[in-house]
Amino acid sequence: MGHGGDLRFQVENLTRVEGEGSLHLRVRDGVVREAHLEIFEAPRYFEALVVGRTPDEIIDIVARICGICPVAYQMSAVHAFESLFEVAVHTQVRALRRLLYCAEWIESHALHIYLLHAPDFLGYPSAVELARDHRELVTDGLRLKKAGNHLLSTLGGRPIHPVSVRVGGFSRMPRKAELMALRPILEEALALSLATVDVAVGLHGPDFEREPRLVALRHPTEYPLNDGRIVSSDGVDLAPPDWDEAFHEVQVPWSNALQSRADDGLPYLLGPSARIVLAGEQLHPLAKEALARTGALDSIRRNPYRSIVARAVELVHVTAEALDIIDAYERPDRPSVPAVARPGVAAWATEAPRGLLFHKYVVGEDGKVEAATIVPPTSQNQAAIEADLATFAPRILDLPIGDATHQLEQLIRSYDPCISCATHFLDLSVEQIP
Amino acid sequence: MTALVPELRVLVCGTADRGDDGAALAAITHALPDLPEHVRCRIEVRRCPQLDVTDIIDLHDGESCLVVDTVVGVEPGTIVTMSLDELARRAGSITPRSSHALSVDDTLLIAEAVRGTMPPGAFVGIGGKWFGYGERFSRVVKAGLPALADAIRDAIEALLLARR
Repeated sequence: MGHGGDLRFQVENLTRVEGEGSLHLRVRDGVVREAHLEIFEAPRYFEALVVGRTPDEIIDIVARICGICPVAYQMSAVHAFESLFEVAVHTQVRALRRLLYCAEWIESHALHIYLLHAPDFLGYPSAVELARDHRELVTDGLRLKKAGNHLLSTLGGRPIHPVSVRVGGFSRMPRKAELMALRPILEEALALSLATVDVAVGLHGPDFEREPRLVALRHPTEYPLNDGRIVSSDGVDLAPPDWDEAFHEVQVPWSNALQSRADDGLPYLLGPSARIVLAGEQLHPLAKEALARTGALDSIRRNPYRSIVARAVELVHVTAEALDIIDAYERPDRPSVPAVARPGVAAWATEAPRGLLFHKYVVGEDGKVEAATIVPPTSQNQAAIEADLATFAPRILDLPIGDATHQLEQLIRSYDPCISCATHFLDLSVEQIP
Repeated sequence: MTALVPELRVLVCGTADRGDDGAALAAITHALPDLPEHVRCRIEVRRCPQLDVTDIIDLHDGESCLVVDTVVGVEPGTIVTMSLDELARRAGSITPRSSHALSVDDTLLIAEAVRGTMPPGAFVGIGGKWFGYGERFSRVVKAGLPALADAIRDAIEALLLARR
């Protein structure tokens, strides 16, 4: 590699991200002309798979899109249908759905911080090597993840692809004693989460700053999980069903995943950093205190590598909120209320661990879905990732290929992409054109 | 069935509603009743839809581990047995790049790193063919379930014998 003429740079297999893709850079005279995140994971056709199915069937089917964020898919779908069918769920159902989401965030964030992202900052090729030298650190991460697994199993029937969510409520509501039994595990998880913030704030990546357009849900009284308005750092303010009034999907030739753009054609960024910046006021007091102690709010907004701090702060939030929900829980008489399907458009957006997840379904007269649109966060983040790669890449062009690949992978891992969701990662190539 | 201090942890992987992925669950229900009482009282059986590091790292000193699951990459219906060490280090293995769920290799190697040693143990699996929605098995896996149950029993007895 060098600066003269054109250069192609290719990372062939991106590691420690979910799914399969590559990165292709095309460089001319030291300037990055193209940065393509090439997602070649096969299309998964879930939007076609749900056609002809009933809403309750769809809630179980869409959970299969992802092994780490099935709750997000269930939540966006169930809220979409309940919005169309005008179903008012019990307040404890609403609280329990937040608890279910907390479980998923604990699992997902703990896995990403400790096993996928921390090795980058500490100079290890993977969690296996990290565990050999930092046994306690990895064990803490595993205990945190397990706490999320326990909670998800209790609420959803199993730790992966839960099966309890139904239109109108749940198929079963847990007894108070079942949830109270989880309290010690979650108390330990809260302590571990607070310690995670201290660890994360000490992990520094490259000094790379930019000003992304941020998008997240924001709610007047709670940290965004499954309710709120879609807001952006530049003034978007929409109800959850109206995502497509300000954003749209586009197809690009180098990716099996659709990308998303704001209506001005420009990229935007979702996820923990966006939520902390746009909705940080609603963090749990313990999480708010932890964030203040880091002094990292501004760098979370500007530097993508600081997303690890945002994730750690969110871990504090979800473990603390989970304990609050359990303490306040009273099992309702019925696990669900009746729901009557009606034709129309059902749409909603919730906050998956890695950002806003939008679902839209056309429901026919027979109560079955006729068309579906599912817009996962990684699809929406893809253009922002490419823009950041193009900005960052010039500084690594003179590095040996291994070092360059590592730095680009680390940047991509900062967004915690989930490519299986989006195709529904990294081979890196840099192309220098003669 | 579970001893106060079990000598062998059997981890039964897979989910019952994904076709052949539920083979381990079906086979274990056939294998366990045929074991002598003095064997059954020495083992602990756990369901784990997906093998997790935390399923392995808290094995107490001297406790062995048997992992049972459906596998891909071999002829459907074929019974596969190997030690956990072989499983973690098998050359040329197919390791998915997807890492939101850790691969079996990574799971075992992280457990080894955290524990300091790879737990003594074995893996028993059957080649799967159909992983669609539903509780039915492919014909070839259904036919292979008795052999899988036999392999589980053999592995349990061998691992317990090795402790003596």
